[in-house]
Amino acid sequence: MDPPAAAPPLSATRADGATTTLADAKGEVVALYFGYTHCPDVCPTTMADWARAKRALGADTVRVRFIFVSVDPGRDTPEIVQAYARQFDAAFTGLVTTDAQLALLRRDWGMPVYPEGDPRTRDYTVAHPAHTYVVDREGRTRLMIPPGTRGEEIAQDLRRLR
Amino acid sequence: MKRSLKTCVAFASVASLVTACIGPAAEQARAAEPRAELSVHDAWARTADSGATTAVYFTLVNTSATPDTLTAITTAEAEESGMHMSMQQGTMMRMAAVRALPVPGKDSLHFAPLGAHAMLMRMRRAVVPGDTVAVTLSFSSGQALEVRAGVRAR
Repeated sequence: MDPPAAAPPLSATRADGATTTLADAKGEVVALYFGYTHCPDVCPTTMADWARAKRALGADTVRVRFIFVSVDPGRDTPEIVQAYARQFDAAFTGLVTTDAQLALLRRDWGMPVYPEGDPRTRDYTVAHPAHTYVVDREGRTRLMIPPGTRGEEIAQDLRRLR
Repeated sequence: MKRSLKTCVAFASVASLVTACIGPAAEQARAAEPRAELSVHDAWARTADSGATTAVYFTLVNTSATPDTLTAITTAEAEESGMHMSMQQGTMMRMAAVRALPVPGKDSLHFAPLGAHAMLMRMRRAVVPGDTVAVTLSFSSGQALEVRAGVRAR
C-alpha cells in the first residue's frame, strides 16, 4: 500500500470489559483480523497461519501484536473471543466489537460486515474482511495479506515492518 | 506437518439389500446399471471445543466413468451440519450453503481450507488431535460413504 495512510480508528472490547483502541498499540506492529468464532473455515485457517508466522518470527515477535477482532457481537463475548484467539497462540489477543463499535468499524474502515442467514437463529454466517491488515509502528496501514498466505511469508512481511 | 490419514469407507448400499430380496432377474438388471465408484481420502477435521463450530475436509474420488451427486453431509457429532463454500468477493469473505455437488466420472472433488467444507455446528463434544470425527456423505444414487476424519491441531 503506497503511500501508507493512517489506519482508521478502531475501538473494541477486551476480555476484562475495558475498551481498547488501535492507538493503544502505537509503537508496535499490529496484525489485525476481523472475523467471528463461529467461522469454521477461513478464520481458523488464517489464525493457524498466524501461529506459524509467530513461530517463524521467533524472538522477532516482541514488537508484533496479533489481534483477532470479532465482528459478531450477537454470539461472541470478549471472553469467548480471547479464549478462541489463545487456542492458536497464547500471546494472541481476542477482542469483540459491541454493536456501536461495529457500526463505527463499518463506517471508518468501509467494511460491509453483515450477517447472512437468519440472525435470530444461532447458525447464521457473517460476511467479513478476507485479509489480514498490518499496521506499522506509526499507526499506518501498510499491508493487506490475503487469506491462504503461508505463515513463513507472513513472517517475512512482518519482519520488514517490525 | 502433512499427515496421511487412514480413511474408513463403508458402502451402505440400500440397492444391494433390495436386490437381495427380489430375485435373480431384478438383480441382473440392477447389476447392469453402472454405479459410481466413490472413495474418500485424507479426511481431516479441525480441533474444536464442545459447542463450537468446525470443518471437515477431504478428497472425494470417483474412479468410475459414472457420475454421481453429493447431496448431504451428516454427522451425529454436531447438532447441525451442512456443505458450505467459502468465497472471496472483492475484499470480503462470504460463505454459501451448497445443496448438491456433482461428482463427474473419472474425477475428484477437493474439500479444502478456503473452499468447500463440511461445516459442523454446535459440536456435541470437544475433539482434539488423536480423535476422529465420523461423517456420512450421501449421494443422489443412494450410495452413502461413512468417513472417519482424523482431528488435526489448528
